[in-house]
Amino acid sequence: MTVPLTGRRPDPVASALAADRLGAPSVVYFVLSAAAPLTVVAGVLTTAYAVTGITGLPIGFVAVGAVLALFSVGYVAMARHMANAGAFYTYVSRGLGRPAGVGAAWVALVAYNALQVGLYGAFGAAAVPLAERWLGISPPWWALSLVTWALVAMLGMARVDVNGRLLAVLLTAEVAVILLFDVAGLLNPAPGNLAAEAFSPAALVAPGVGAMIIISTLGFVGFESAVVFSEESKDPRRTVPIATYSSVAIIAGLYALSALAMTVATGDIVATARRDQAETIFALATAHLGGVVVDIARVLFVTSVFAAMISFHNTTARYFFALGRERVLPSVFGRTAARSGAPRAGSLAQSALGLLVIVVYAVFGLDPLVHLFFYVGAFGGFGVLVLVFATSLAVIVFFFREPSGESVLRRVVAPVPAALALGVMVVMGVTNFGVLLGVEPGNVLAWLLPLVYVTAAVLGVAWALVLRARQPSVYALVGMGAKAATAREGT
Amino acid sequence: MLADELFLIGWDTTASGKPRMHLQGIELGLAGALIAELVIAGCVAVRGSTLGVRDGTPAAEEATSRILAEMRGLPQHSDVRTWLVYLARRAVAEVGGRMVLAGLLTREEPKFFKRQQSRFHATDSGAAAWPRTRLHMALTRWQPLTPDDMALVAFVEACGMTAVVVQDPAERRAARRHLTAVLAALPQPIADLARHVEAATGDAVLTYRT
Repeated sequence: MTVPLTGRRPDPVASALAADRLGAPSVVYFVLSAAAPLTVVAGVLTTAYAVTGITGLPIGFVAVGAVLALFSVGYVAMARHMANAGAFYTYVSRGLGRPAGVGAAWVALVAYNALQVGLYGAFGAAAVPLAERWLGISPPWWALSLVTWALVAMLGMARVDVNGRLLAVLLTAEVAVILLFDVAGLLNPAPGNLAAEAFSPAALVAPGVGAMIIISTLGFVGFESAVVFSEESKDPRRTVPIATYSSVAIIAGLYALSALAMTVATGDIVATARRDQAETIFALATAHLGGVVVDIARVLFVTSVFAAMISFHNTTARYFFALGRERVLPSVFGRTAARSGAPRAGSLAQSALGLLVIVVYAVFGLDPLVHLFFYVGAFGGFGVLVLVFATSLAVIVFFFREPSGESVLRRVVAPVPAALALGVMVVMGVTNFGVLLGVEPGNVLAWLLPLVYVTAAVLGVAWALVLRARQPSVYALVGMGAKAATAREGT
Repeated sequence: MLADELFLIGWDTTASGKPRMHLQGIELGLAGALIAELVIAGCVAVRGSTLGVRDGTPAAEEATSRILAEMRGLPQHSDVRTWLVYLARRAVAEVGGRMVLAGLLTREEPKFFKRQQSRFHATDSGAAAWPRTRLHMALTRWQPLTPDDMALVAFVEACGMTAVVVQDPAERRAARRHLTAVLAALPQPIADLARHVEAATGDAVLTYRT
């Protein structure tokens, strides 16, 4: 017979397991370092000004931040009831059904791959000036991107995440540099600047606002990852929500301030950004802060992009892995490389895609910053926006069916307006996709790129229905992630 | 013993003395194998996600009796996953240590960096190579497995070590088919334990950080 399992004593197991759990500050650091602030400020913001010509970005970050904070209320509450809390598709599976879940998984694979691959463009654009200045050579951008591609592919297979402490140091330095640039910009306003316009709510109803929304969302990507650490946090009920809200607030504040500072310092940021491209903030800062600070910032930009590449590479490989563990993808994706424990097939697949994209861009002579980093990155950002919207619906439906002891605030009051706002954002994003890309209305890319996600979602739903008919045991485990193993019968 | 044999498969005790596989997987596999030894000895019952200690039966040797005593003392922890993660932290020290005591291995402490993993060398390299060779033959030649080897192969697969046993990718496909058949015939408690090892190993991949 088994002994009944009750009673309380001093507990070495609980204290041993608690010893290496994470507190909210550590989780915030993990989230923000994946978000790579300097990549966004030096790369995304300036390119966004140049390509879209929109001046309202600061208010865009504030508005999108507010919506995402509202969304996070229900999101972190639902995370507590999920087996695999780290991925949007698992929420969609639980809330909207498994077919929608697999559809969301396909969308997520496309989006996160795009976010990673786009960074190769940013790296090329950022590293070429450094090579010119310090080595006296001017290699083509793709040569440098290929070198980092090989590094990322290798590190991915060796399961080397950039060390947490190193990331923390880099992140702190990045934020310090950004704040320094911001202060310098704000203290040196150009005549006739458009600061008032930058924070005017009128910008939220201006034409092209959908483009602004997607760019802002792109800046926030990574905020969703705090929930990955649910099981490893000191107190999931407090740590994860605090970390998520803080991340959203910090990102919103930092990017809004930086976007504003650029506007103030240049007077006409759009014209400046079109002229200076990736050099914009460095050119601005050289005048006020001197060469040394700017050189440090340039190096940090490159390291920031590199850290983000590895982070998104690993995120994508783990997405493949979770789906492989569920057998939604072939089981080979659910296996690890023996030596390193890296999610082998997912890592290889991601690297293969990266190589393909770099080669295609090099062969067709496309621009690394605008066509690769900005187009593909914004495309990925839009995918994440769609996923957040689908998840916001899933949260409402899930708590409607299973209140799970959560308050009305978390179940209804916050999630419903969040979902409505996100729905509006998605619609505006689709209708303004041409503005986002800076192309004429009717350009094929403006409807082709959103259509990629529709196709991915439809294929995902269809695949789920095939699974339901042919492999019901696999279908039953959609959204379980690695824990699918415990629920599987007769393996 | 089960955990010893798993150790010999996961650790290159005949040459380098270093692990053949990433440590996180080995640790979880060994933790599962240690609990499985208690299950096989009739000291512990596992059903689904729940683990309970049975009355009376003592464990066969020191490492497992220590674990059994802890389980007795902490009945509030009945979750298999909790015990796996808890025991994984010291599984290499427990299993490696008891094999050193039994004269099967010698331990080589790290010379320069204290935090490095110890190396383990087999005293009898033929015996040390045997579990891996035996499983490789059984899997690639579709031989029937003893109950002990069925349990062993279950933990090998659960912690992602199958590629260490069947290294030639050409052989792996057929071996996996045999493996699937073997795993389907596992007794329930071992199958449940192995599934939890697989889930814990998978979650470790998903939440990996440095």
